[in-house]
Amino acid sequence: MLSRPATFAMLAPVLLVLILLLVLPVGYLISFSVLARGTGPQTLGAFTMANYGRLFGDTYYLALFGRTLWLSALTTAIAALAGTCFAWFMWQSGRRWRGPLTILILSPLLISIVVTSYGWVVLLGRNGAINTALEALGLISAPLRLIHNDFGIVVGLVHVVIPFMVLCVLAALERIEAVLGEAAMTLGAQPWRVLWHVILPLAMPGVAAGTTIVFCLSLSAYVTPAVLGGSGPNFVTTMIYDLFITQYDWPFGAAVAAVLLATALAIVILYQRLLARLGAEA
Amino acid sequence: MRRLLQVVAALVAAFVLAPIVVVVVASFSDGAVPQFPPRTWSLRWYAHAIGEAAFTDAAWNSAWLAVIATLLATPLALAAAFAIVRGRFPGRQALQAFLLAPLFVPAIVISLAILVAMARLGVRDVGLRLVGAHVLVTFPYLVRTIIASLTRFDLGLEEAARTLGAHPLRGFLLVTLPLIRPGVIAGMLFALIVSFDNVSVSLFLTSARTNTLPLAILNYVEYNFDPSVAAISTMLVAVSLAAALLIERAVGLRRVVGG
Repeated sequence: MLSRPATFAMLAPVLLVLILLLVLPVGYLISFSVLARGTGPQTLGAFTMANYGRLFGDTYYLALFGRTLWLSALTTAIAALAGTCFAWFMWQSGRRWRGPLTILILSPLLISIVVTSYGWVVLLGRNGAINTALEALGLISAPLRLIHNDFGIVVGLVHVVIPFMVLCVLAALERIEAVLGEAAMTLGAQPWRVLWHVILPLAMPGVAAGTTIVFCLSLSAYVTPAVLGGSGPNFVTTMIYDLFITQYDWPFGAAVAAVLLATALAIVILYQRLLARLGAEA
Repeated sequence: MRRLLQVVAALVAAFVLAPIVVVVVASFSDGAVPQFPPRTWSLRWYAHAIGEAAFTDAAWNSAWLAVIATLLATPLALAAAFAIVRGRFPGRQALQAFLLAPLFVPAIVISLAILVAMARLGVRDVGLRLVGAHVLVTFPYLVRTIIASLTRFDLGLEEAARTLGAHPLRGFLLVTLPLIRPGVIAGMLFALIVSFDNVSVSLFLTSARTNTLPLAILNYVEYNFDPSVAAISTMLVAVSLAAALLIERAVGLRRVVGG
């Protein structure tokens, strides 16, 4: 065991770095959100709550938040379904396949999102592989619009988040004794009943944990909506970018960033609570 | 039902691999736009990509950035992980959650926060801003891997060293560190990938003259659609896969990524 002073001495540098690079900068950024826009470029005015009033009072901004939450929820639902199936498949497959399957399912996380987004453009774009193939087969007369819309965002987001879902569910499944399912079957249960009454309840903690983390990641994604979404602000993150870079409206941009951060952190705290409670039950 | 599960798993695998395979195959296109499959094959876009200063300069920047950020974050993570696992103090759980905080704060918020804070302090150096941001995003993965390695490790060995009269620091350097080395190296490799690939956290921190490779690619595809980006991407895929294989063999990818 380490002594108290030694423990503190080892933690001090990290805490200093986190406070200097994360806590104080984020606090400083958020402090802009309660200031008015100054008269000159990049100047700030007096204290005001008007930025939050504008954000929560204007249906345009509320709708953008609503869209972001809705697309993230849709992404999460698809990822939960697909990810649970894949995790279950990995759990049942033999040891030999674990390594290759792990690298396969984690590849979206290992390969830069710029590369995979570009891949979706080549595959789903107007003159992309899918449209070319469908036209060659005579199935469509005009190219389908598969990206630069909400479909593109959800496809890209599911791809980005699926590794996290699989990892969470797999971790839960691995705590289950494989004999449980066999026991149920020996006692005469149908395979689907085993799935419904034995496997799924036991996998639920993993699905719940995966769902929260995946929702949080979807909400904060920037590259996917920027590359695969429709033009103009189509997600909260792309709006923040637009407010800071194009409109130079730092105070309002900071207010939007603060609300995004608060939402993300609320979900993470929920996630921690969920993990703790499910861990206690298990 | 087993069949059904296999079919769904195959579909998921195809979905995950689709954009990656398409990029790799299209990088060998001969034409002016990436084709899948290419009508005629060629390596000319690789030559074009390697000759494009916007990519090569940015690639060097990204490589340096990844190495510096990882080298700075590793000792911090080692010290923190050691204190968390071996120390006894109130609020350990909360502290551990706080150490992983950079993973949960939206990257775009981190990027903006560092931009405004450094501007306030008068720091105009792009390199400094980027290193700060990248230390922040690589650090949680290192802490997580090293905590996992230390937890699995037999405390008795460290105590034996101390009983035999070794100074705790000596015990750490000669006994603990060699034993957790695979975990540390795997964590560092993953940190290198995370930093090299990261886009969102660098978003507001680069300048017209100093860019990172992922952002250079993003900028390039805004105005060009030739297969040179596919060529660059294929090289990135190759590097990432090589690193993934190394990590998988050293300690297992899952322990590094968490979950």
